[in-house]
Amino acid sequence: MGPWGFVFLAYGIVWSCLLLYLFSLKRRQRKAAAELLQLRSTSRGTD
Amino acid sequence: MRETDQKQGRGRTILGVLALLSILVGLAWGLILAPPDAYQGEVQRIMYLHIPTILIAYLSFFIVFVASCLYLWKRERRDDILAYSAAEIGILFTGLTIIEGSIWGKPTWGVWWTWDARLTLTAILFLIFTGYMILRSLIEDENRGAICGAVLGIIGFLDIPLIHMSVYWWRTLHQPPSILRPDKLPWENVHPSMLLALSINFLAFLLLYFYLLALRFRVGEMQDEVKKLKLYGGQ
Amino acid sequence: MELLRQAARLLWKDFLLELRRRESLVTMFFFGALLLFVFQFAFEISAERAAEMAPGLLWLAFLFTGTLGLTQLFQAERENHCLDALLLSPMDRASLYLAKVSFNLFLMLLVELVIFPLFWVLFNLTSWHLLPTLFFVAFLGTLGFCVLGTLFSAVTMRARAKELLLPLILFPLMIPVILATIRAMEIILRSGELGEGAAWLRLLLGFDVIFLTAGFLIFEWVIEA
Repeated sequence: MGPWGFVFLAYGIVWSCLLLYLFSLKRRQRKAAAELLQLRSTSRGTD
Repeated sequence: MRETDQKQGRGRTILGVLALLSILVGLAWGLILAPPDAYQGEVQRIMYLHIPTILIAYLSFFIVFVASCLYLWKRERRDDILAYSAAEIGILFTGLTIIEGSIWGKPTWGVWWTWDARLTLTAILFLIFTGYMILRSLIEDENRGAICGAVLGIIGFLDIPLIHMSVYWWRTLHQPPSILRPDKLPWENVHPSMLLALSINFLAFLLLYFYLLALRFRVGEMQDEVKKLKLYGGQ
Repeated sequence: MELLRQAARLLWKDFLLELRRRESLVTMFFFGALLLFVFQFAFEISAERAAEMAPGLLWLAFLFTGTLGLTQLFQAERENHCLDALLLSPMDRASLYLAKVSFNLFLMLLVELVIFPLFWVLFNLTSWHLLPTLFFVAFLGTLGFCVLGTLFSAVTMRARAKELLLPLILFPLMIPVILATIRAMEIILRSGELGEGAAWLRLLLGFDVIFLTAGFLIFEWVIEA
């Protein structure tokens, strides 16, 4: 593997990992927002 | 409360956009505009990843330390959320640093791993972060988990200078002189345009780090609130 | 000082318990001896290599044996709500910390006192005159181990998989102690005197002081959690 191969391997792994992590954070945020919406509306409903 | 959430969300988006822009500039400098190294050639460009990520890993640990101290002192939920958020991102950056270091090492020294001071220290940092994450996941009670995590965060941080000293002594005493010293700092003979590329990339990673940290913190706050609502029902 | 008196009283209680039941000390001792046998089967320690490998192997044995002791350390307090009783009393939490550090130190030192000569006999080493110096180095290292180990034994006390979790957290933090003790012992065995090893001992001493202080201050929050 030539020198550029190693460079792209490193850059590729780093940026894909960071992107994956960002997506996982966004997914967790969406899930928590949905849960909050549901919990808040049901608690208001029982008041 | 909804208004501050919106303002914070907007702030995060701005931070994210800034991070993205500087990342693109950083990539341009790192991969194209900066010259290749006289000895190592193109492979040296990995440095523009490696140095920022390791510095940010240490910054993250420092934030874990400060948040842990604050939590033990004031017992406010948000300090604990900050602590484990910084730990989660810290372990990510440390892991990436190890992978980059390994990939950089193969063409430079011919091996995927060597027990030189810096790689070893990064691996130890990774182990301590891992211990923190596993500890948090294995303690069920939230408050106890926060306190125990904070203790590990503080002791771990205090230990780092001692670990550094001992590993460096271990690797430098009775070390035969060699031409290729893997533990020589890569930025010791740095060309000015390389230094510029390095600074831009460091800024880019720093902005990205704070963006991810802010986002992770927000997710932590929301998950906390979900738990509270599930336990206690209404307001 | 009241603190020391409380610690001494708690330590005495642990001594008596150990004297009557003898569970920790005997297990630790036999485990340590067993490890020496396993090392021989694993490494085929020849006469020439024995002196070279001694510090590392001894410390491996002490680390694992010590961890055994640590997982048991708060066992007596956890049974019958003793810990709750202790915490309800106006006792200073730090005295419990001092007592437990001292107790584990005591157990480990006893084990080391036997394992050292046992190693010398099993592997035909002749440098018996170096044992006091080596033991002093081991003492400093063991103190560091007990200081952090006691703190994290309390931290992991109520976690799941605590027997696995404790070494996982503790060992990376122990690296300065592991490096310093083994390197110092190597220097002593190689050159017959401390010499350059003094720098390692200073590091060890620094470690012991820093974390004894830190543990002393932090322990009360852990134990009350």
